[in-house]
Amino acid sequence: MEHTYQYAWIIPFIPLPITMLIGLGLLLVPTATKSIRRVLAFPSVALLNIALGFSVDLAIKQINGGSTYQYLGSWTVNNDFSLEFGYLIDSLTSIMSILITTVGIMVLIYSDNYMSHDQGYLRFFAYMSFFNASMLGLVTSSNLIQIYIFWELVGMCSYLLIGFWFTRPIAANACQKAFVTNRVGDFGLLLGILGLYWITGSFEFRDLFEIFNNLIHNDGVSLLFATLCASLLFLGSVAKSAQFPLHVWLPDAMEGPTPISALIHAATMVAAGIFLVARLFPLFTVIPYIMNLISFIGVITVFLGATLALAQRDIKRSLAYSTMSQLGYIMLASGIGSYRAALFHLITHAYSKALLFLGSGSIIHSMEPLVGYSPEKSQNMVLMGGLRKYVPITKMTFLLGTLSLCGIPPLACFWSKDEILNDSWLYSPIFAIIACFTAGLTAFYMFRVYLLTFEGYLRLHCQNYKGAKSSSFYSISIWGKEPPKPKPKGVNHNLLLSTRNSNESISFFYKKRYQIGESARNLVRSFSTSPYFGNKDTSTFPHESDNTMLLPMLVLVLFTLFVGFIGIPLHQGGMHFDILSKWLTPSINLLHKNPTYSVDWYEFLTNAILSVSIALFGIFIAYLLYGSVYSSFQSLDLINSFVKMGTKRIFLDRIINVIYNWSNNRGYVDVLYAKYLIVNIRGLAELFYFFDRRLIDGIINGIGVVSFFVGEGIKYVGSGRISSYLFVYLSCVSIFLVIYYFLFLFL
Amino acid sequence: MIVVLPISAGLLILFLPHRGNKGVRWYTICICLLELLLTTYAFCYYFQFDDPLIQLEEDYKWINIFDFHWRLGIDGLSIGPILLTGFITTLATLAAWPVTRDSRLFYFLMLAMYSGQIGLFSSRDLLLFFVMWELELIPVYLLLSMWGGKKRLYSATKFILYTAGGSIFLLIGVLGMGLYGSNGPTLNFETSANQSYSAALEIIFYFGFLIAYAVKSPIIPLHTWLPDTHGEAHYSTCMLLAGILLKMGAYGLIRINMELLPHAHSIFSPWLMIVGAIQIIYAASTSPGQGNLKKRIAYSSVSHMGFIIIGIGSITDTGLNGAILQIISHGFIGAALFFLAGTSYDRIRLVYLDEMGGIAIPMPKIFTMFSSFSMASLALPGMSGFAAELLVFFGIITSSKYFLIPKILITFVMAIGIILTPIYSLSMLRQMFYGYKLFNITNSYFLDSGPRELFISTCIFLPVIGIGLYPDLVLSLSVDKVEAILAKFFIKN
Repeated sequence: MEHTYQYAWIIPFIPLPITMLIGLGLLLVPTATKSIRRVLAFPSVALLNIALGFSVDLAIKQINGGSTYQYLGSWTVNNDFSLEFGYLIDSLTSIMSILITTVGIMVLIYSDNYMSHDQGYLRFFAYMSFFNASMLGLVTSSNLIQIYIFWELVGMCSYLLIGFWFTRPIAANACQKAFVTNRVGDFGLLLGILGLYWITGSFEFRDLFEIFNNLIHNDGVSLLFATLCASLLFLGSVAKSAQFPLHVWLPDAMEGPTPISALIHAATMVAAGIFLVARLFPLFTVIPYIMNLISFIGVITVFLGATLALAQRDIKRSLAYSTMSQLGYIMLASGIGSYRAALFHLITHAYSKALLFLGSGSIIHSMEPLVGYSPEKSQNMVLMGGLRKYVPITKMTFLLGTLSLCGIPPLACFWSKDEILNDSWLYSPIFAIIACFTAGLTAFYMFRVYLLTFEGYLRLHCQNYKGAKSSSFYSISIWGKEPPKPKPKGVNHNLLLSTRNSNESISFFYKKRYQIGESARNLVRSFSTSPYFGNKDTSTFPHESDNTMLLPMLVLVLFTLFVGFIGIPLHQGGMHFDILSKWLTPSINLLHKNPTYSVDWYEFLTNAILSVSIALFGIFIAYLLYGSVYSSFQSLDLINSFVKMGTKRIFLDRIINVIYNWSNNRGYVDVLYAKYLIVNIRGLAELFYFFDRRLIDGIINGIGVVSFFVGEGIKYVGSGRISSYLFVYLSCVSIFLVIYYFLFLFL
Repeated sequence: MIVVLPISAGLLILFLPHRGNKGVRWYTICICLLELLLTTYAFCYYFQFDDPLIQLEEDYKWINIFDFHWRLGIDGLSIGPILLTGFITTLATLAAWPVTRDSRLFYFLMLAMYSGQIGLFSSRDLLLFFVMWELELIPVYLLLSMWGGKKRLYSATKFILYTAGGSIFLLIGVLGMGLYGSNGPTLNFETSANQSYSAALEIIFYFGFLIAYAVKSPIIPLHTWLPDTHGEAHYSTCMLLAGILLKMGAYGLIRINMELLPHAHSIFSPWLMIVGAIQIIYAASTSPGQGNLKKRIAYSSVSHMGFIIIGIGSITDTGLNGAILQIISHGFIGAALFFLAGTSYDRIRLVYLDEMGGIAIPMPKIFTMFSSFSMASLALPGMSGFAAELLVFFGIITSSKYFLIPKILITFVMAIGIILTPIYSLSMLRQMFYGYKLFNITNSYFLDSGPRELFISTCIFLPVIGIGLYPDLVLSLSVDKVEAILAKFFIKN
């Protein structure tokens, strides 16, 4: 049994060799490495499987007899300052490592197909393996410095992966934004670590908690300073988990390939912030203000994310905002002290969201040949619709994920979300009301995504339709403000780029000939006759993805279905028993908290009914707005005429416009940052540069110029001409005489 | 012996028959390699790591009247810079492969610089220190004014005036210290280390030395020669400038100011910390305003020198070790960044960042290396910059000399520098490589880096990673010496 613990340090290093191998190969012998790319991709999956085996083994041991194992080795030898490295295996670590490895494996298998036509296939796998390695390192680390190191590495991986398609300027901007925003969090984290080191003199978690508790109880440290340090630490997790003031990077991060969004921006990296809070939970609990701060930030994020997700057009972006909102839930749960609920929701949400992202990736993959390879087009829900018929398996999995996220009973997220809502009622009614309201919003926007994507029928030709009707009022109300540029042109241009053959002109003309009212099918066929598409797919409709992409999704469906049960209380032998609680027992004991989790079935039922009814209400509204409206264009007109009768039309319109503007402008937070922060930094840079150039350099150059003139003057003076000497002499004498004369006159 | 080898070998170059560049090139590289191997050999076999005293001493009387000795020796402090010098100079010679104009003179100057640098780092005599310091300037001036860019004469003049101005103060300090003793001039480090001065005199000496080093290091507000010089110089010169020349200032600051004038140092150190913190922020925020690629990197090295100053200013074991580590680590990273900037400039012939873009696809290898070194420069964990900066941070936190509030402020300001660094270095990366751009120039062809360039950058990359993963590689050299230096402070205070 001890063997696993002894070798647990190896977990983070397992995925590493493949990264190094691929990196060296690409750098030294690129062509040869590229030719064996599938061979190289396979071991990365295999290695991750080994890591999974390790972590499952650890988890079983944790469940059976929870023990924390810690091994320390020294990093730098110094006489009065030593950094020791080690690892800490406890329930939190085992949960996180299982989560990371399972989602990681699924995503790797998935991306084998998803990225198969990409130039950077191997680069992608190298980054992914490195990311997995650093994430595993993060969860197994035993002191704050180690956390910081892996924290930064994770941030760097996300930078590389977001900027994976570096030729896109948007991606380039997005990855820089992500890194800098995360760096702000790192700044806080580093300062917090230093402050805590100053207070306690230790980095090890256990010593740290012990000393800190003692100090707090004995008033050994000023509470203000301790709070400051703790909130700086919290700033780190705010940035990483995309909480309110620093959430701006997450939606932009969707520029990366979709498997990345699934892995990093849904399941693992954003969980790092939560992990940090969970890890430092004993520290935060002794400072009351921090807990309030955490729950407050959590509530703001919950609400903000949900409202921003309401009217996104991009399928990945709306999922991203939903992630942000769900992370807010988890943060809220940690803030109100229900550690168990937070972790539970973290797990369930990770699986559901990974499923959703993989599903959206599959949709994007099927849409890409039809609408073009730009994310503006292939991820745009305006152009989707009716995919139910073409991609049945994806539809099924996506629906399950959606239902799970909405909190419909048998699925995973129901159990955890219910628990959070339940706990928040106990904590503060205001928070609970907001949380419940947001649960309804969640159901609404998730179903909006689902309905727009899968129900109705394909709106490829809607581009034309929209272009013609852009002046109409209803297109505004449903899609937000249309960009002034007519759509068909853009689409066409894109297709021109993507086909790259001589047929493009023909298709272009076809396009022109078929005017607005024409059926889309002809149009699409005219594109797909070009040989470029002909090789890949002959159908004019979106096709289902390959099995390698579907398999991970199906596995994740299984997780989504059943992972909820680990947290369900079961009656066994007269005592309450659920796996999660037992798993977490050591940590809970660490918190000096009463682990008795009394289950009242009646209370549970009422809460469940409440939350389910809220979710159902949200779904109903979504169905009303999006399901029927877009079932067909005839009914659209019907509804249009029906709504026109309404007296509250203008009021409704205003509300909808406000929501759309809010959502499209990302809650104006980005604008605010752009306006104040970035402009200020640029201005500062200009100012400093000016200062540097003109003032400091100016003084130096001025000295140079002055010395030049002085030198010239001296040269002139000392030129040796008798006449000038005489002239100077005589003029001096005459001036002297004149002065003397005047003095004499006045005296 | 080691010191004299390069310059004497360099003199031979001038007498070599003029039969093309190739012979000279190979000759120079062989000399550099030989030198590097010799030093490494000497250190491996004759150097005891746990001895804080001077080792491998050489002592010859040179000028009798003046009691001027040719006195060399190596201790834990100087071994790192010496090895760095050998390493970087060899690579810079290799990097200067494309230089064809007047190559004999060029390589001679390179070798002369090599001698000067090693001599400086290993000299044990104040006057010898000064002589080597001056010896350094002439090759740089010539390299700059002959192989530089468009505004090279302006920059070269600026450089020489700045540094010569600083040298005056150095000379004053050296002579003042040497002649202070009652019976005859004492120029030896050991004897002058045990000498005690009156407080006012010590402060004056300290100030004089400080100005000289502030020009070299550079410390604001005496830094403006650096961007101009780096912007114009050939990239192999830049490698030497950024890699080694800047470190001379920091080295001198530790060697003379800390070791010989401990009392004044403890008076000045708060000011050093403040200046260092301002410098980090100031240079890091000036950098994004730069259009010129090389100038941007130059400002980034100014910003990184701030960490060294803070490390020296915090009179702690950890902080000083961090400063030494930063000397080494920035030597590698700065040199590599300039090298890569130079090679990409050779290909695209554009210096201004807003004209560039989208060169990642034709040059994936340069892109990879450039992003790795940018990451190293912004102190990514696992690379040497991180270890150094972390140690400096701890140096401040554990420093017992300062009160809580100033410590918090200094740390806070330094940490803001951590946010600013990625802003400039990543936006540089983005503007250069990311995006997609069709170049109008049709006849320009983009070759990816060849094996030679790849070799140079990986050679620098390996120690960066190595030090980052296991900082003891460098720290073990200097720990004992640092303790010995700091012991003085605790005795005196």
